[in-house]
Amino acid sequence: MSAFQNEPVLELRRAPNRSALVDALRRLDASLPLRVPVLVGDGDGTHAGIDSTDPGAPERLVASAGVATPAEVAAAVERARIGQPAWAARTPEDRAATLRRAAQILRMDRLALAALQVRECGKPWPEADADVCEAIDHLEYATHQALALAAGRELLQLPGERNTMRYRPRGVVAAIGPWNFPLAIPAGLVAAGLATGNAVILKPAEQAPASGYRLVQALRHAGVPADVIQLLPGSGETGAALVAHPGVHTIAFTGSEAVGLAIIRAAAATPDGQRHVKRVVAEMGGKNAIIVDSDADLDQVVPDVLRSAFAFAGQKCSAAARVLVHEAIAEALLGRLRGAVEALRVGQAEDFATDVPPVIEREAQDRVMAAIATGVREGRIGAQQPEIPSGGWFCPPTIVTDLPPGSGVSEEEIFGPVLTLEPVPSVDAALDVVDASRYALTGGIFSRNPRVIDTVIARSPVGNLYINRAITGAIVGRQPFGGNRRSGIGAKVGGPDYILQFVDPQVVSENTMRHGLVVE
Amino acid sequence: MQGLEASIREIGRSLSGAYPPAIRHPARTVDQRLMQMVADRPDVQAALFRFVDATPACRTPEELTDHLTALLEELDDPPPLLKAPEALGRGRIGERIVGSAAAAGVRHLAQRFIVGESPRAALGHLERLWRDGAGASLDLLGEATVSQDEADRYAGRCADAIETLAGAVGAWPNRPVLERDSSGPIPRANVSVKISALTPLIRPAAPELGADDAARRLVPLLRQARDTGVHLHIDMESVDTLETTLHLVLDLLGHAEFRTGPSAGVVMQAYLRESPEIADRVLEWTRANPRDVPLTVRLVKGAYWDHEVAEARQRGWSPPVFTEKAESDRNFEALTRTLIDAQPPVRLAIASHNLRSVSHAIAYNRLFGRGDDRDIEVQVLQGLGDDLRDALAAHRIRTRVYCPVGDLVMGMAYLVRRLLENTASTSFLSAHGRGVPIEQLLAAP
Repeated sequence: MSAFQNEPVLELRRAPNRSALVDALRRLDASLPLRVPVLVGDGDGTHAGIDSTDPGAPERLVASAGVATPAEVAAAVERARIGQPAWAARTPEDRAATLRRAAQILRMDRLALAALQVRECGKPWPEADADVCEAIDHLEYATHQALALAAGRELLQLPGERNTMRYRPRGVVAAIGPWNFPLAIPAGLVAAGLATGNAVILKPAEQAPASGYRLVQALRHAGVPADVIQLLPGSGETGAALVAHPGVHTIAFTGSEAVGLAIIRAAAATPDGQRHVKRVVAEMGGKNAIIVDSDADLDQVVPDVLRSAFAFAGQKCSAAARVLVHEAIAEALLGRLRGAVEALRVGQAEDFATDVPPVIEREAQDRVMAAIATGVREGRIGAQQPEIPSGGWFCPPTIVTDLPPGSGVSEEEIFGPVLTLEPVPSVDAALDVVDASRYALTGGIFSRNPRVIDTVIARSPVGNLYINRAITGAIVGRQPFGGNRRSGIGAKVGGPDYILQFVDPQVVSENTMRHGLVVE
Repeated sequence: MQGLEASIREIGRSLSGAYPPAIRHPARTVDQRLMQMVADRPDVQAALFRFVDATPACRTPEELTDHLTALLEELDDPPPLLKAPEALGRGRIGERIVGSAAAAGVRHLAQRFIVGESPRAALGHLERLWRDGAGASLDLLGEATVSQDEADRYAGRCADAIETLAGAVGAWPNRPVLERDSSGPIPRANVSVKISALTPLIRPAAPELGADDAARRLVPLLRQARDTGVHLHIDMESVDTLETTLHLVLDLLGHAEFRTGPSAGVVMQAYLRESPEIADRVLEWTRANPRDVPLTVRLVKGAYWDHEVAEARQRGWSPPVFTEKAESDRNFEALTRTLIDAQPPVRLAIASHNLRSVSHAIAYNRLFGRGDDRDIEVQVLQGLGDDLRDALAAHRIRTRVYCPVGDLVMGMAYLVRRLLENTASTSFLSAHGRGVPIEQLLAAP
């Protein structure tokens, strides 16, 4: 087996690559709307109930998806229970080969998959393409990790006893994915479960069911049995029914803090007949801060802050929401950020010149505009690009300053293109602010003093800390991703510990003495 | 080609013999020694460069000392010379002394590479160069352009540079070598501009966006340069800006209003694997767009090698640059021949400190070109190519010194880049400084 390598993103500075994507989008548009059925076992269920539309042109129907009923949820869990043992009985190499075939299918189809995200999520090309690459990475990476795990772990061995430790699949995984990384995150949740021998039921986000459907199709075409990978499109109720089902062993979730905490509470229940305790792997919210020390290079800070805060309209768990800047350079930084924000282009995701695309849906737009209104009321608009297209769910990228301590705008996750800027007297004071938050997902520090950087590393509670660079764009195998505190529980996805969440360890100790002799 | 190699060696030996003896420039020699010491210790080099990089952001001597000692602390085995700041820097007064000394050291370094804070302040230096037989191209250092205001300010500084130079050069004495080649007169005043500084909208995936925005500011500069007889050279940066730059310059210079001028130029980077295709594209353009003044092509090896390779590796792309230095050197010579063969619609400026590359261009032009040395210009960097400049002036080869102008904050990125370049073990200057024999330095790459 060759060493794991990341799937290269497209070199979009080359015109032929851009034309290929434009062609893929044209072909996709000709095939809309897509139909996303409920997939329970071999069956092909309804594909009506949920309409997924283009955030940049809401009148365009991208997909119509089914809504899995409680009966379908129960049937899916039952099919998974029946199908899982045979999948687990296959060799790890067999499962790995199957997942690699699925990765290859995604690879062959990568332009169309990126185009789908442009339409379904309003995700700009570079991010959409990177998402497809990350999905491929997750499938490949999980196979490497699972094969390494299958070798078991070293234990102490003494005369007369033989000790072995190995890992077994937990059973049925409920994977509940978000819309913002509609292919990559479901792929990460699903791949770890499948590679280790579990059956997986994917519930895609209702805003992006088609990408999840494509993933399941690829896995099935690659040879994952229908009972072992199933698709339950639907609303929050579908997800809740799946989480509550006693036949589910592991719940792998990425989404909001509120839903994550509800899942954790629900999963704690152990009704009669449920012979196991559920395990939850949850990746939740964030309110991520970038600290800018007085010696930072503003030429570097400004573009990296903009990218961290406003790329994909700030709709990443890792996105920057706060800048905590040393008061000595706060005015200089705000001055340069203001000009840079005014130069941002808000536009359609399909336009290669777009910096800030629309947000996902009307509710998101309402939430962002309400946060900006609160910012106006409680503080001041430090910078804004007010020129936004009409029609889609566009929001003006905005920097809010002069907020009172404890303002919701600086404390609560907005998940949109809104950034707060707060002067602080020192890096230590900035770290106090970071430490006071209940979130600890990503964070950044811009400094040219190694002592300051060491202090931030020692004191920052975040799961992913970035030094002198943008704080988004974690890559499988290079930046295993996940938060601490109320940002997440479980191991980091895309890292070596992740698949351990999907297995139970078993230790076997055998007495090898017979008649006083060591027989081995 | 045997004759060519022999001629290259002859020219190279002759130039090398004309390098000024070290004794005439004791300060240059001391700097060179320091660079050499640093080149042998990559960790020390990294610490010192990171310190230089941070100096403009430090507001007090104490802050400077804090940075210096923090960076030196990271060294496992600091050289004896650098242990002093750590010991000294502990007391309050010590901090002051070390910080001030370090600031003075960085200023000294900067003054070697940066000729003044403004075009006006640089005029004295430019005139001295001219009297000593070398031309100059003025480059305005600046912070990254992230807003429209900053782009406007940079364009304003360019306009000021054009105006200042145009007003000053008339009083300079005649220097026939610098003022004419076989295609005609060459402007005395020469200004280099960067497209990435003329717009905040450079987007590698949308080259038209930045090109259109920069055009608003470049067009007035072209008109001003045309009307005042100043040469305007468009610099080339990383691959991310390549398409924007090339598209913009070729588009604008093709307009009817710029048919008669100004004298203008572009840059070709020989380390780019695609540079032969770029050369074809530019040459095809010169055939399709005849102008009264030939397009000057400044041929460089390329200054963004680390960036291009790291970016490509991080993204899984095959690097757009040659990864072996000899490949770049060979391609440089191939492009030199292509461009000499393509004259007269282009003028060629060889921008290199490499004696072999320079000698090759002169030799090829003598043997296979128009045979007139005035048709080859050599460009060198202020502070790095001073010895070569003196040797070329003695040989009556037109030399132009790339002279950056700006304050310390603006100049730091440039300074760090130059320092790294100068101490890279593969660089010609470093090999020359180490005393590698001239025959070896002149061998075909």
